Amino acid sequence: MPEKRFHQKILKIVGIQGLLLLGLGVLSTPALAHRVLVFAYAEGDTIFTESKFIPNDPVRQGKVEVQDAKTGQILLTGTTNDQGKFSFKIPPQAAAAKMDLKIITEAAMGHRGEWLLKAANYLPGAQAAGTPAPGPAATPAPSAVAAPAAAPAATAGTVNQQALEAALNKVLERQLAPINEKLTELTIHRTTLPDILGGIGYILGLCGVAAYFLSKRPKNT
Amino acid sequence: MHISEGVLSPAVLGGGAALTVVGTAIGLKKLDYEAIPRVAILSAAFFVATLIHVPVGPVGLHLVLNGLMGLLLGWLAVPAILIALFLQALLFQFGGLTVLGVNTVTMAAPAVICFYVFRPFLCRGGMPGMVAAFACGATAIILSGVLVAAALLFTGQGFLQVAELVLMAHIPVMIIEGIITLFVFLFLQKVRPEMLEGIYA
Repeated sequence: MPEKRFHQKILKIVGIQGLLLLGLGVLSTPALAHRVLVFAYAEGDTIFTESKFIPNDPVRQGKVEVQDAKTGQILLTGTTNDQGKFSFKIPPQAAAAKMDLKIITEAAMGHRGEWLLKAANYLPGAQAAGTPAPGPAATPAPSAVAAPAAAPAATAGTVNQQALEAALNKVLERQLAPINEKLTELTIHRTTLPDILGGIGYILGLCGVAAYFLSKRPKNT
Repeated sequence: MHISEGVLSPAVLGGGAALTVVGTAIGLKKLDYEAIPRVAILSAAFFVATLIHVPVGPVGLHLVLNGLMGLLLGWLAVPAILIALFLQALLFQFGGLTVLGVNTVTMAAPAVICFYVFRPFLCRGGMPGMVAAFACGATAIILSGVLVAAALLFTGQGFLQVAELVLMAHIPVMIIEGIITLFVFLFLQKVRPEMLEGIYA
């Protein structure tokens, strides 16, 4: 008899507190602690990196380390600015050896994030910049200007293929940069309410498992 | 408070894991039928609280509630925190599986320490009990900060520098946690004194 009452008591306690917790979970917007997110993309011969604490806090003055993903050799290091950004020229040895770059950001208090930039993702830019292409002059030029410039060049047939490719690469990069960024955002696993509820479910399930095994044990009272 | 993967040296990771195994063993040994709901509830509370991100200071902060867990659970806080951290590592990639041991130690050890330090005062109730409940919540955070700094000590970051940063960043959390611990303590004392049996046992 007391056994049964005890069970009810447990159920009641679990029920009340569970509801409270549920409320807490629902009220807090998809909540996140601080995981560091790094992403990087190439534009021309420069690689831009951005580091932030998820969801949207820049990592200020974080240490950035660029490594060869295979050997772990450190190619260069730097510090993020107040927007969490850091950019660097593609190191020549990396371009030459087609290294995949591992970009690691270390924020204070043991927070750390990394991003793998595949050689294929930054090398076209590097090659394009290597050609005698317009280069720095084209920095803020909108795509509308670059595209017509490339078109007559092609019809004329006098300009070599490389220059055309370089111009196209530049335009494409500029156009695709926001999409790249968006894709990066999408690949991040964000903490969602179902995740949190799932976690709580696991904990309650484990509670059940523990209760089951303890209930099998002979009572020693 | 979660240290990320790949920051610490293997020696620190191993030490943390070993301490966690010992602590968990002691905790599980003390686990009895009546304590299970308490452990599960606080584990879930910790799981949720450490996810909630309050934008204060340079890095957003989250509650830890380890003082409260120590107060209510004693040694049982170790398995409770371990489970919550394990699930966070698995579901959200917070911390990570290799740093699970160290992260458990940095958050669970203060819980156990505070339990033993403040228990005599909490038993007395009244004003000393209230002060102890507040101090329990706040001290656990300080100790966690010190432990995080100690773990990072071996990575070449200066201990004082990191400790200062962690402690400065967590002053608001300390105060909030102290108040939460105090109110939960008072509330339970009135409404559900059996939740506090860990202190009197």
